[in-house]
Formats: sequence, structure tokens, C-alpha cells
Amino acid sequence: MALFHRTESDAKNRTAELPSIGAPRRFRKTGVVAAAAAVVLALSACGGGASPQSDGGPVELRFSWWGSDKRAQLTQAAIAAFEAENPNIKIKPEYGDWSGYWDKLATQVAANDAPDIIQMDEKYITEYSTRGALLDLSKYQIDTSKLDEAALNAGKSEDGLTGIAAGINAATILANPAVFKAAGVELPDDKTWTWEDFGRISAEVTEKSPKGTYGSAAYGTDEASLGVWLRQNGKSLYTSDGKLGFEPSDIADWWAFLKELSEKKAVPSASEVVEAEAAALDQSGLATGKNGLAFWWSNQLPALEKAAGTELQILRFPSATGKAADAKLWYKASQFWSASSRTKHPVETAKFINFLANNTKAGEALLADRGVYPNSDVRAAIEPKLTPADIKVVKFIDQIKGELGEAPAPPPKGAGAIQEIVKRYTSEVLFNRLSTDEAGKKAVDEMKSAIS
Amino acid sequence: MSAISELSTLKRRKGPMTAAEKKANGRDNKAAYIFLLPWLVGLVAITVGPMLMSLYLSFTDYNLLQPPEWVGLDNFIRMFADARLHNSLGVTFTYVFVGVPLQLGVALLIALVLDKGLRGLPFYRSVFYLPSLLGGSVAVAILWKQIFGTTGLVNQALAMFGIQGPGWISDPSTALGSIVLLHVWTFGAPMIIFLAGLRQIPVMYYEAAKVDGASTLQQFWRITLPMLSPIIFFNLVLQIIGSFQSFTQAFIVSGGNGGPSDSTMFFTLYLYQKGFGQFDMGYASAMAWFLLVIIGVFTAINFIAAKYWVFYDD
Repeated sequence: MALFHRTESDAKNRTAELPSIGAPRRFRKTGVVAAAAAVVLALSACGGGASPQSDGGPVELRFSWWGSDKRAQLTQAAIAAFEAENPNIKIKPEYGDWSGYWDKLATQVAANDAPDIIQMDEKYITEYSTRGALLDLSKYQIDTSKLDEAALNAGKSEDGLTGIAAGINAATILANPAVFKAAGVELPDDKTWTWEDFGRISAEVTEKSPKGTYGSAAYGTDEASLGVWLRQNGKSLYTSDGKLGFEPSDIADWWAFLKELSEKKAVPSASEVVEAEAAALDQSGLATGKNGLAFWWSNQLPALEKAAGTELQILRFPSATGKAADAKLWYKASQFWSASSRTKHPVETAKFINFLANNTKAGEALLADRGVYPNSDVRAAIEPKLTPADIKVVKFIDQIKGELGEAPAPPPKGAGAIQEIVKRYTSEVLFNRLSTDEAGKKAVDEMKSAIS
Repeated sequence: MSAISELSTLKRRKGPMTAAEKKANGRDNKAAYIFLLPWLVGLVAITVGPMLMSLYLSFTDYNLLQPPEWVGLDNFIRMFADARLHNSLGVTFTYVFVGVPLQLGVALLIALVLDKGLRGLPFYRSVFYLPSLLGGSVAVAILWKQIFGTTGLVNQALAMFGIQGPGWISDPSTALGSIVLLHVWTFGAPMIIFLAGLRQIPVMYYEAAKVDGASTLQQFWRITLPMLSPIIFFNLVLQIIGSFQSFTQAFIVSGGNGGPSDSTMFFTLYLYQKGFGQFDMGYASAMAWFLLVIIGVFTAINFIAAKYWVFYDD
């Protein structure tokens, strides 16, 4: 029983056994035919994705986005409304989770197979724009006159208008009143609360709740909450010239406070924090009633309410001073509608984006799932259609209008890597593998090289 | 594969060939190549082509969105200074050098037990083999995540004894161990091969040993192990090569980020992150070639060492 071991005699024996077959000439021909057939097969397998290219004829556009099941339903409805008005254009949806979305998009773009319409995030838009992957939409017929100015500017850069804001968002803390009620703790007053209050109240909820339930989810799993913290301390995530806007000591302070929260059990244990990172929105601590408070974007409230099966409440971030104006929130373009620069049908693609941004029918389908509509006309027209959850979101966005801080600098190229760095060092800190100072220094080093 | 080695042995034949022999040989080769054609087309289009492309890319700065730029050995030099890459090597080596011996040990042990002629052997064989089919799958990795979670099955069982278990998969000190365990659990494939190997050992050796008064343990050391050594070698080579490349389990169990704190950041996972997450495909390609070299070195070591411990009975 020799596996890697074949003797000379063995080989000879087998040669003798090989049957001799037909005339060589015939083989040459069959060989060529077989090779040709194989090549044709291989080629036709590759070419399956080509879309028809003719003026006036039917056009198929691919449209990709990330998001929850609820978003998929709403977006499909918007697509149906567009197709009803434009029978010659078919929109083929491609959607999935946030995490897989960017890997897939990068691969598709590299393979020259990018979707025509791409839902884009501010973390990546510079990356794709500066590398020429996105279409300058200002060259096509898209009406921007009714769009909120700040939101519109967020999609502009020296590479042109590469994204149309799909909605307006704000960083918020969402509260699950049922958890507070069960613990017998009052919901905080978000106009006056400080980070001290946040820690104290969260710890109290944890203490008065059954095991495994915590007053608040931990922050530190993305850079949004870091951005708020930095702004409140006179710093920022990025500067307008595309550098980091903070020092190692700033992020170390942020982690030091998180550690304090963790020590008094205001937030879940390190292991539970790691597990929560991987959970989808539907499985998050807030949706499953395991967290009283959690850090989310305002537009995620309706989906979270649906998953939790209970009403949630939107709160402003705490501040250092207890004044709402010092919370330094800002309006963020929740997502952008972008188009691939290599689309074969730029006119039709722009038509669809124009429909999404400006048509009331699109608004009636999408509602506030991607944030508050940037188009003032659409926003007014769809108001009666909004669900109670959507109305809460719109109200909150209106309420904080007077309290906003300056608009933050757009994330530079490479900013897509920042979240992963923040997350990794947060767990280093929570598991006591690095001191907050060491983590701050290392994280800032890595971030600097990521965006350089 | 066997057809290819057949062809190469043909060419290595000693002594001059007669003209008739040469002609017959050429004809045979042609026939072989025609039968190989479908496979060859696949090999060239799906394996060799992309491999050459990645070799080229490993000498470039390629961000996926713009054409690659030649940078020479830059990517390879950068690897020396990349602390996360060094960490990922550590993780991968730990996985291979703890996981493979453990897995083969378990496989051999179970094979020995099953070889004793159990009633219902086919059933047990299938049951033990099943994890190998499932182990690399996404579904099982997700299941593993549940079982070893903070409130998972393992900790629930421990809680019955009043022990508060850690979050096995979410704690940096135990996460890699959980994945190694998942690997060990998939011992079925080497076990089946061991079982087949055990069946090949002639009974007469054992009978003779028994007559001479050898104990069961002596029989195992003096007959079973030497006779089985080619099989052990085969399993060892395959498992080491496979384990260096393992990706799915760590990807799913850690949610794709090799966490917590890079404790399950396998080399392949880091490669994936570099290439697709951070738009650094040139560097990722260089990493892939580095991995190929590592695997090549360890396979060579395996084959050299084999001369000293593998026993061929022919």
C-alpha cells in the first residue's frame, strides 16, 4: 500500500496496459473540434451578464444596496413604480448585508461588472470617486433644485457630483422604554443629560434588570459615536484636508470612559460586546430587549421597532455640559445614490436616480427608511403616508435643527478601514489586553496609514 | 492527477527507444491529452491563468479600481514590517501545529476502535465521517458560534455545575482554541483513510507476534504504526496543506474580521481583508505567493523527514 511511491516496473506495467487507439490524423481533427467547443463553452459562460444595448429598446439596469428586509420591500415597491412609468427600463435589484456589500462591490468594480446604480456611503464615496469609478451626475438630467443644500453638497467633490443624498440622518441613542419600565427607572431627559447621567442611569438599569440585560449597549463598534465625542471636545474625526482630526489622547479618553462604563456594568461584558458586533439589526440587543439604550442612526428606528415589536424612543446624545446645543450633532447624508462610471446606459441610470430623488411616488414607497427625504416637496407630499415610526424620525430631525454643530469634514480616501480599527482596539481595551493609552497610540498610527 | 503522473513517468523511462516504440508512445500521449483536454482547459482558465495574474499583481500596487502599477518587490518588503501579518502567521501556525496532530490522533484512535470489528460498523463509520462533510461548511460554523457563545450550549452545561464559562468564541484567549476544536471534530476523512489502511495490514503479522508473546501495545508499536506509516504520512501532508489554507471557519466564526482582537486572524483571512476590504490587491497577491512558499517548504520538509520514518512494505 504505497501511496507516494511508485516503482519503475509499476509504470512499465501500466504502459503495456494502455490500449492503442485509432489513427493519429483523425485524432488531430477531433482534438481541434473538441478544443473549439470547449473554448466556445467557456466564452459563452462568461458573457451571460451582458445587457442589451439599443436606443429605444428595453434596457436593463442593475441596482445594488445594503440593508434590512424591510428596506428591500420598500425599495422593490419604488422600483415597481419606476418601471410602471418607464416600461422600457427594467431594474434588477441586488441587495445584501452591509458587511458583505463592500467586498462584493469592490470585486464587481474590479471585474468591470459594477451595478449601474450603487447605494454609496460617505465612508467610501471618496475612495470610489477619486479613483474614477463613479459617474459625475451633474452632467445628466437630475433636478437638484429642491434638495437640501447641505445634503447635496455632501455628494460633491472635485470629481463632480458623484452621489445624490438619499436621506438625512443623525446619530442618536435609541431607548427601549419597556426595559426601563421593567427596571423601574425613569427615561432620561435628553435635553439636559450628561455623559455622567448616561453612565449612572445605565448602571442603574442593569442593576435592576434580570441577568443578561444591560442599561446600554457599548459604544466603540464604529466611528460614529467617536465622532460625536470628539466634536463635543472640540476635535473631529477628520480635518477638511483629509487628515485625522484628533490625537491619541483623545481616543484614549473615549476608551477610558467606556472602560468605566464596563466596570460598573452599565454596558455588557467584553465577550458580549464582541458577540453583539456580529449580530444583524434584527438580533441586536436593542431589538431583543437586552439593552435599554443603544447607538444607532435615526433612520434605523422604524426597522428596529419592527424587529423589537415594541415602540422605541429617539434620544439626543448626552453632552459634557448638559445642554442640548453642546451635543454637537449634525445632519449626515444617510446614503447616496451613485452610478458606475462605466455604465452603458448613463441616461437611463440618471433617470432612475432622478426618480428616486425627486418623484413623489418614489417617496411614497421609500418613506423614511433611508432617512428624511432631502427633497422638500417630496417630504411634504409623503407626510400623510408616513408610519408613526417614520414620523418620530422626521420630528427628531426637525427638532435638532437649531442645535446642530458645524457640518463635519467628509471622510477621506481609506476611511472605510477606520471602523474595523476602532472595533479591534475597543476589544483590546475591554479585554484588558492594552491600556487605553497604548490602544490610542496604536490605533491612531494605523488610522493614519489607512487614510494616507 | 494520476494521469499526469502517468505521463511524466512515461517520459522518465530509461534507455533508448526504438522508432516504433516512439511512435506508439506519441500516439498514446496524444490520446491522453485529448482525454485530458476538458480538464486542461479548466486548469489553464481557472487555475493557471489567475495564478500567473496574481504573480504579476504581487509586484504591483493594485487597488482594484485603477490599473495596477509596477512597484517591484515593495509588497514583499512591506510584509517584514507588518505586525498584523506576523500575528496572522502566528495564529495560522498555532492552528496547523496544534490542530493537525490532534485531529490525526483522534482519527487514528477512532479508526483503531472501529477496526476491532464492531457490530454496525458501517453506521458508526458514517456517523463519524459526517462532521468532515459538514465541518467546512458555513452552517456548521454558525452552529459552532451558537454552541460556544456566552449563553451557548457549552456554557449552559457548565452552568449546571455552577461554572460560569467565558464567551469561548468572543474571548481572545479561547477563540482560536474553539476553531481548532472545530477542526479536530472533522476527523472523519483521515479516519476513513486510516481504517482502509488498517484493513491492508496482513493478519499474519499479528498472528506471528501473538505466538511470540507480543502484547497489544507492542503489536501497535511494532506492527500497526510502521505498516500504517505511509497512510499517516499521506494524511499528514494533506491535512497540513489544507489547514494552512483554511478560511471558512475563521471567517464565519469571527464574523469576517478575525476578531476578537485579531486572535482568529488567519493568514488567509488577513489576505482577504487586505485585498477586498482595504483595496490592496497587490499586497494580497504577494501574501498569497508567500503562503504558497510556506506550504511548499513545509511539504518539502515533510517529504524529506518521511525518509526517516515512513516504511514502505514492497
